[in-house]
Amino acid sequence: MKKIVVFVLGPDRTGIIAAVSKTLFEQGCNLEDVSQTILQAEFVGIFIASMADGVNEDKVLSALSARIGPLGLSVHLRPVEEEPAAGVRAGEPFVITTVGADRPGLMAGVTEVLARHGANITSLKAVSRGEESQHDYVMIFEADIPSAVDLSVFRAALRGRAEELGLDISLQHREIFEELNRV
Amino acid sequence: MLTEREIIATLDMLRNENLDVRTVTLGVSLFDCASDDAGRFIYRVRAKISRLAANFVDVCDEVGLRYGIPVVNKRIAISPIAVAACAASPEEMIAIAVALDDIAAKLRIDFIGGFGALVEKGFTSGDRALIEALPEALAKTGRVCSSINVATTRAGINMDAVALMGRTIKRTAELTADRDGLGCAKLVVFANIPQDVPFMAGAYLGVGEPDAVINVGVSGPGVVKKAIDRARAANPGLDLGQLSEVIKRTAFKVTRVGELIGRQVAKKLDIPFGVADLSLAPTPNVGDSVGEIFQSLGLKSIGNPGSTAILAMLNDAVKKGGIFASSHVGGLSGAFIPVSEDLNIAEAARKGHLSLEKLEAMTSVCSVGLDMVALPGDTTAATLAGIIADEMAIGVINSKATAARLIPVPGKKAGERASFGGLLGEATIMNAPNDGGSDGFISLGGRIPAPVQSFKN
Repeated sequence: MKKIVVFVLGPDRTGIIAAVSKTLFEQGCNLEDVSQTILQAEFVGIFIASMADGVNEDKVLSALSARIGPLGLSVHLRPVEEEPAAGVRAGEPFVITTVGADRPGLMAGVTEVLARHGANITSLKAVSRGEESQHDYVMIFEADIPSAVDLSVFRAALRGRAEELGLDISLQHREIFEELNRV
Repeated sequence: MLTEREIIATLDMLRNENLDVRTVTLGVSLFDCASDDAGRFIYRVRAKISRLAANFVDVCDEVGLRYGIPVVNKRIAISPIAVAACAASPEEMIAIAVALDDIAAKLRIDFIGGFGALVEKGFTSGDRALIEALPEALAKTGRVCSSINVATTRAGINMDAVALMGRTIKRTAELTADRDGLGCAKLVVFANIPQDVPFMAGAYLGVGEPDAVINVGVSGPGVVKKAIDRARAANPGLDLGQLSEVIKRTAFKVTRVGELIGRQVAKKLDIPFGVADLSLAPTPNVGDSVGEIFQSLGLKSIGNPGSTAILAMLNDAVKKGGIFASSHVGGLSGAFIPVSEDLNIAEAARKGHLSLEKLEAMTSVCSVGLDMVALPGDTTAATLAGIIADEMAIGVINSKATAARLIPVPGKKAGERASFGGLLGEATIMNAPNDGGSDGFISLGGRIPAPVQSFKN
């Protein structure tokens, strides 16, 4: 059975998921995984669906465009790759957190070090802690770090970059957060 | 996926609230090193500890780094030397202490505990030799700690041992007079000593323990204080029942950290994991104080009326939270109130809010006892023994561990300062009775019988 991935992006409004899932259903697709997120007023949704035999990708795409295009949303569709993309290696889950004053270039600066060491970001959030001060801009990366990476070297590289950027940085195995916060 | 709230709360505990693992303690049994020849015993002890602990400090650091949680102290607890080296003479006992100190230094171990004896019912020749050796052994070494158990609920109180320890403490202080009696900071007298304490100076490996074991001591008074402050700021109407719930939840989190780190270290060293000791252990640093928790709960100072009630609640809430968080709980597990090791408690003593008598009352509900209490240099051996006897009685009657770590600071009077350095901190010397009022009682000797365990009123 073939799988497709559908990306929907555009201004957030009510009824987007309803419209997309109904169209996919009508086109003979079965939803497997869905994730959506909203940043400020912008919506992004990723839908992975399996297609019944004989269903045509182009037909699904045009049905989706017809349904949600008028809502101001764009839609992209492509077949799912069965193997993970080259360069994504299995590793251990770590959490990298930075705290510091917001300024341009923080994300680019930190993620360059991650990429150079082969760390694959699996989840990323950047939040302002609001109630306190502008010094409390927090970036939280969850990343898989290949087992071959020497943690002390990686940590030193992160520390060095964080210093240049005026950030406080920490690198911790994900397990500690789970142990502390979940029963 | 983790929530950002979980991650930020965890980071705050680490960065601002002094969350750490206070100690990972490797227990090593020395019974298979026994010999009638002290030189041979020392040779075997050195070989065994060096083999088991070769990578111990590095593994602790590596695990600490992996989780971003510092392991502050790496320690070793050994079988009570008075048992393992029962045939040794006092001079040989001193040689053993010096060798242990050297082994610890070479392995980069902070403290090695277990240069001790269990004498609640009487003395063997090894017990007598070890206690006789203590003053010189503690003066000549820096990392060796000693605990002497003189009482249990099942055996009663060995008053001959209590009197002997009064004299031994006095002599130990004299031999380290140039360092404010520092030797006494490494010597603790116990009732009902647990076999698996990871904290110093009481750590030793009990006779029922395995050949090698990893025990871990958590900490985190600063985390508890901040959690109480945050909860009260968010809801000023919280009552003590609700606040004890806050403490319980926080103790849960703190213990989980210790348990995780302890298990990882044990796994990497291929040594069984023993227990997590979920104690609130302060350090002489701002924001790492048990005394401050009393202020967060509405007292002006620890020592004010209400202190014993707060300590009882705190100790109980810490145990409840910690027991749920850990598969095996042991050691002392509760709140420590060491005077010199806690800035806030030391300050309360300096200002006169906290007296020796109030401290003694509080020890009836805390997890240890009169800990790191500096006393005037002219306090007599009999007075020290009297204070110890009272503290032992509290433990024996209440079926709990109690201890006395008393430092009669040579040449100094009440109100003056004594400084012990590092984690041992500094303290104002407390008033102690000095009228010879305990002499007659202490001179009687013998054993106070074990108490009845029912008809409790």
